[in-house]
Amino acid sequence: MKQSLLATMLMSSIIAGCSSTDLKESMGLNAPFPELTSQTAQLTPAAMDELASNPLLTERSIYFGFNKYDIKSEYSDMLAAHAEFISKYNVAVSINGNADFRGSHEYNLSLGQKRSVAVGDSLNSLGIGNNNVETVSYGEENANQECTGSACDQDRRADIVYVGE
Amino acid sequence: MKIIQNYIYRFIFLLTLITSSFSSNSIEVIEILGGKASQIPIAITPFNEEIKNIDLEKMHKVIANDLERSGLFTSLDTSGISTIPDSDMLINFSNWSALQAQFLVVGKIITIQNKLTTRWSLIDIYKEKTVLSMEFSGSKKQYRAIAHNISDLVYKKLTGSPGVFHTRITFVKKKSEKIYGLYVSDYDGFNQRAIVNSSQPIISPRWSPDGKKIAYVSFEKKKPVIYVQDLTTGKRVLVANFKGNNSAPAWSPDSKKLAIVLTYSANSQIYIINSDGSGIKQLMRTRSINTEPAWSPDGKEIFFSSDRGGNPQIYKVNVEGVSDVNRVTFEGKGNLSPSLSPDGKLLLFLTQDNGKFRVAVQNLSTNQVLKLTKGPHDESPIFSPNGHMILFTYKDYGKTTKIGTVSVNGLKVTPLRVGSEAILESSWGPITNN
Repeated sequence: MKQSLLATMLMSSIIAGCSSTDLKESMGLNAPFPELTSQTAQLTPAAMDELASNPLLTERSIYFGFNKYDIKSEYSDMLAAHAEFISKYNVAVSINGNADFRGSHEYNLSLGQKRSVAVGDSLNSLGIGNNNVETVSYGEENANQECTGSACDQDRRADIVYVGE
Repeated sequence: MKIIQNYIYRFIFLLTLITSSFSSNSIEVIEILGGKASQIPIAITPFNEEIKNIDLEKMHKVIANDLERSGLFTSLDTSGISTIPDSDMLINFSNWSALQAQFLVVGKIITIQNKLTTRWSLIDIYKEKTVLSMEFSGSKKQYRAIAHNISDLVYKKLTGSPGVFHTRITFVKKKSEKIYGLYVSDYDGFNQRAIVNSSQPIISPRWSPDGKKIAYVSFEKKKPVIYVQDLTTGKRVLVANFKGNNSAPAWSPDSKKLAIVLTYSANSQIYIINSDGSGIKQLMRTRSINTEPAWSPDGKEIFFSSDRGGNPQIYKVNVEGVSDVNRVTFEGKGNLSPSLSPDGKLLLFLTQDNGKFRVAVQNLSTNQVLKLTKGPHDESPIFSPNGHMILFTYKDYGKTTKIGTVSVNGLKVTPLRVGSEAILESSWGPITNN
């Protein structure tokens, strides 16, 4: 093993240097399913007004117990109001699940999803079809990364977000 | 050399040797208390060089840090030695023997304009003989690269396994509240550069086994979607943007497919897709969470975490002709984030231990578990491509998440210096030039 082999080794590490991508550049994206927004109506000014004025509709978060995924009865009026609103204006809603920071990012994504699905199921049972609801999760990505004890409770929740808001 | 190799293998496969009497479902947990005596004592002397740049970490330091990080070497302090040799012709063997050095590395760096030439030797003190003697050249910018290549050759010679000191890693850095970057750097955190910048979180970067691409999960579409980015061209492809979440990409050993996780039906389920986003098919379907897929090195099995038994545990399933799902972890309140050692013999994962998340390895033939880190918030463990080290993240004093390595024998934990910002997730690139 003399100079020439080393030269090859070092060259390969230079060539393998990588390029950078900026997210602002436009790219051909191969979304295999239609965007949810294309199937439903946009939020009209009247719908926006109702969202802002109805106190049950300004409530957007459903909180869960530790390691719990069932929806407490205190949220039934709020969920019924949202179901009625979605149905009245045929709008799309995204349910964003969350988890506290403890554990892996990916597993927390799945735990947040379980909470999101619980809310989605609840809306289904109130007559809202899956064309109007997408259940997704942010996992621990919006969670307080330094909480201890009950301070982490606020991160175990699902948020209702209207598409086009 | 054979004797030394056996010596080291005995140590690395401590798990196998201690536990051969256990039945496959019984778990024995070992805490590492000592074992420093099993490390090879090596003296790496300052190389004779003209460069007087005090900011630069000297070549012998880079090599010593490389070897020590593996947990298989102790580098000896040579500051008490009055005359440092710069070639294998000038060794006073009794001096080095008195220092308890088993091996010695000496060298000399000659700089002519922009070109560095390093002449170095590895010497066996017991046998009083030169084991390796070489000359490496490169540009001044390749100072650390030359040092890593010397480390690789010393490592290979003394352990019989390839060194990973020339490899690279990728990690996600949270630069501020709304600025995330996906970085690549040398394995020791030097020479870092961003390959993606985003205002939204990025998680789960995974380097393809052929070294050409990195798959990752981005929240830039207001939900998790999976991109595969080519490292040479910088171009990226959105490989999974299905309804719901798209996450947890895991490369097949041939770099042609990805196991991914979708919530298209409801809860997280594992699918397999070609790395260009075509040909999706579901691996299995249950009502419970199935996530964090990881391929066995032979490509025949997928390990994953699931809450089908209540708390998260690790299971495995055959990729073709799926029918049986077998539980793999049994010990502790929960186990998650599985991945396999390059030889497929060790399972690496996070174990939940009295509220702490710790990095652990389980010998898959004996099921013995070895906890490598203390926690309490350790995450994102991944093997080095030779299986001797593990990259992981940990919380510094319960606050900022940092990145470091732990040797697979648990003896050496080394933080990586990549800046003061939080490091969220990481992955280790393959050995590329062998």
